[in-house]
Order: sequence, then structure tokens, then C-alpha cells
Amino acid sequence: MKVHIDEVNCTGHGRCAKYAPNVFRLNDEDGYNADRGLTIEVPAGEEKNAMLGVKSCPERAITVVEE
Amino acid sequence: MNDVSTSTPVDPETTPEALIERFGRDIINDFDLDDPKFNENFNETLNFMVRKCPVVHSQVGRGYYLINTQDEVRAAAQDWKTFSAAQGYMPNRPEGIPFLMPEECDPPMHTRWRHKLNPHLSPKTVALMEDAIRADVNELIDRFIDKGECEFISEFGTLLPGWAFFKNVLGVPLEDLPALVNGVEEGTFAPDLEERSRHFKGVFEYLNKHLTWRATQPSRGDLIDTILAGVTYDDGTEAPWDHKVSVLVDLTFGGIATTTFVMGSALHHLATNRDQLKMLIEDPSLIENAVEEYARFFPPVVALGRTATRDVEVAGTPIKEGEFVMLTYACASRDPRHMEEPEKVDVRRQGIPHSTFGVGPHRCIGSNLARLELTATLEEWLKRMPDFRIKEGTEPTYVTGYLRSMRSLYLEW
Ligand code: HEM
Ligand code: SF4
Repeated sequence: MKVHIDEVNCTGHGRCAKYAPNVFRLNDEDGYNADRGLTIEVPAGEEKNAMLGVKSCPERAITVVEE
Repeated sequence: MNDVSTSTPVDPETTPEALIERFGRDIINDFDLDDPKFNENFNETLNFMVRKCPVVHSQVGRGYYLINTQDEVRAAAQDWKTFSAAQGYMPNRPEGIPFLMPEECDPPMHTRWRHKLNPHLSPKTVALMEDAIRADVNELIDRFIDKGECEFISEFGTLLPGWAFFKNVLGVPLEDLPALVNGVEEGTFAPDLEERSRHFKGVFEYLNKHLTWRATQPSRGDLIDTILAGVTYDDGTEAPWDHKVSVLVDLTFGGIATTTFVMGSALHHLATNRDQLKMLIEDPSLIENAVEEYARFFPPVVALGRTATRDVEVAGTPIKEGEFVMLTYACASRDPRHMEEPEKVDVRRQGIPHSTFGVGPHRCIGSNLARLELTATLEEWLKRMPDFRIKEGTEPTYVTGYLRSMRSLYLEW
């Protein structure tokens, strides 16, 4: 599974990393998603957590690009 | 969904007569955030609006719109070019209040400030404050635990956010806190707009003095020093002194005017829903999630405003250039299109898509600090007074405008 984090719409709510710490990392400096603007691979077994992160992002900044 | 292209059958619940009967006024064509009836029927009004009225209008003063549904609120909040914050966030803004940065400006000016300020309130920085905040929670509880009762708002709820912010972030003397809290409260809720303006100015003067003093002191490398260092705007000019003071005012308002309501509401909810209380006591690891649910359902920021920079249509309602538009974050957080049973408070709710901390570039910079204050409060409170109750014969009291706050909450144990 692959997800994309929108460069502009991520504004650092940090919900993604709360629900899926093994998928999403926050930038130490400003607390925004560290992979803003990138597409990342969800590690096997983390799909459910990743989807919780996707769902709780208030900006809808994370989209699933490949199931 | 009704077919809007042909004649839509009239919904008997949304006729002016039905609205006046139920809410005391026609809330679709003439909403009023400051109406005491809105304060009284807060939950019912939000639940109704988010289901039935994506956009409502107010004729109060210069008039304003409210956008109520989650998709529309998100779209407008993210589209800062169309919905500009540069004319301020207050409806019918009283004359003479300077604009607050970063809240009342747009990118790229906004981005310059946020970039500099974010590191001071990032999850990583805020985590370093945890022990100090937990100690403050316990110090406040120590003051009243042996009494067996307290008035939560004055004895804890307005103090903790002030302490957390003053001690850890601002470094101003705690003796000055009560006057500032009062200035912020009255500046927001005073019935008279002139009075609001006067209180606002008092807060500005105090913080101006503090910043002036700090400018003469050696640097501590803290948030204040970052504000003093300022930013360079895209046209090459340096942020003027006024902007720096306004950043401090904005942070102070956010830091002390909001978290109290979530705290008070969470304790009230737990005291009146013993099954949820039991769950949190048995499994304190649920508390972080509970905080998210309480923030969703008990929103201190009801709605904040923008100004339309062009003619635009929102959910079928035309809005003209120059008109004032409120984003009802409080409604958007209980949109049934995005969650099940939004009117129910459930500490186990997973993946909570709420907008209590705002959406778009102005996302609450203090959200990480607020979450920490709330989590530490609930954890310590439930450890020390797990059997707390609402004091016999009392009920909490509230005040509501574009913000909502709790005025009193009597607890005993
Ligand atoms: C539960 C507590 C809190 C809630 C619900 C809350 C809510 C919000 C909301 C909804 C916004 C968005 C404003 C907009 O869209 O125009 C916001 C912005 C802001 N908040 Fe908070 N807030 C809370 C606590 C805090 C704290 C503790 C601080 C300070 C440390 C703070 C400082 C700010 C500032 C400075 C902004 C403006 C950010 C910007 O415009 O870029 N807030 N807050
Ligand atoms: S929850 Fe959304 S906005 Fe927040 S950090 Fe994650 S991606 Fe960014």
C-alpha cells in the first residue's frame, strides 16, 4: 500500500503519526509530516493504522495512491 | 438528497415559523452568535445546522455568513486566496483593535511568522514541558483536595492554561495572570462592543510593555526572543514593532482563552457518564483518545471569520466579494457525513476527523500544548479524585459568542 502526503495541505496537526507512528513521521523542527510532498510505502501489517491516520487528518492531506 | 433542480419540497423543520418556534429566531436567515438562546441551546443548534443548513446568514451589524458542513469548511479554510484572514476573524469587529498576527494575515506573510514560531510549540518542544505541567496540575489540586469540593473554573480551569503558557512559554509573572485572563474574557464576550475594544487594548498595552522590557534583556533563546528577532516579509521590509506585539497578543489569547472549556466539559461529561469514567480509570491509556473526542465535541472556538475576496458560491449560496464569512468549526466537527452518531460522546471513537483546532494554514499553533494540558489534567485528576461528582443542586454555566467558555462548574468528591 502506498500513500501520498500533500505538500501544501499538510499543516501539522500530527494526527497521522499519533495513530500510525510506524508509518508517518513528524518533522522534529516544526511538527509537520516529515514526508510532505512525497509518496511513501506503508510497511506490511500497518495498513489499518495507516487508514486511521488517513481518516483523522483534518486536512485530508493524505491519500491512498495504491491499495 | 432532494433534487434541487426541480421544485424542492419544503422541509417543515426549516420554515421561518418552525425555526422561531424552536430556536427563538430564524437561524437560517438571521443567525446571531451572541444570542443567549444560542448559548442555551448550543448542542441542539449545532446538530441541527450541520444536518440541515450548510450555510446560514446573519443580519446582525454588518452581517455575516456561517459555513457549517465539514467539506465546505475545509475547502474554504484551505482556500485562503478566496477566504482571506487579513480583514480579521471577528464578526462586526469593534473599531480600533489592531490586527493580530499570524491569525489575521494571509500567506506569504503568515508563512514567514509560522515558520519561525512553529518550532517553539512543536510536539517535540511541548513534550519537554510535560513534567512542569504535570507538577502544576498537582499543585493546583493540592490547594483544594482536602476541602472535598471546588469551583473548577476559577480554582483550576482558568489557572492551568495560564500557568502552562506563562511559565513555560511567555515567562511573565504569575501575579499578572488574573488581570490578563479577565481582559481576554471581557475582550471576547463583553456584551458591548466598545467595552470589548477597551479590554483588548488593555491586553495590548500590558504585552507591549513586556516585550519592550524583554528587548532590553539578554536573549534567552525563547519564543519571545524569536518574536523580537522578527521576520522579513517578501517585499524585503522587516516586520514592524506593532506586528511583533500583535503576535504576542494572539498567542496569549489562544493560550488562555480556550483550553478551559474543554477541560471543564470533559470533567462534567465524566461526572455525568459514569460508564465512560469507569473506562478511563480502568484503562488510562484511553485518555489521549478521550481528549481528542472531548476536543471534537466541546469546541471552545465556535467559528472564526474570513472575508471573501471575490464572488463565490458555497453549497449553493452565493457570497459576494467583501462579505464576512464564519467557518463554524464547531459544526464541522459533528458532521454526520463523516462520522457515526456525531451527537454521541464516546472516548473509544477511533479516527476522529474533527476541526476543533481549525483547518488550513491557520491550524492552531497551540494544539500540541493544549492536548498535553488536557491529557495531564485528566490523568492526574482521575488518579487523585476518581470518585468526583457534580455538586448537588448545581449545574455548569456557559457563555457563547464566536468562542464558547464555561463560567462555573461545582465539583465534589
Ligand atoms: C483546546 C484549546 C484550543 C483550541 C480549541 C484552539 C483553537 C484554535 C483554532 C480553531 C484556530 C484556527 C484559527 C483560524 O482558523 O482562524 C487556532 C489558532 C491559533 N491558536 Fe489555538 N486553540 C487552542 C489552544 C491554543 C493555545 C494553548 C495556544 C497558544 C499556545 C493557541 C494559539 C493559537 C494561535 C496563535 C493561533 C493562530 C494561528 C495562525 O493563525 O496561524 N491556541 N486555535
Ligand atoms: S495529520 Fe494531516 S495535516 Fe497533520 S501532520 Fe499528518 S498529514 Fe499533516
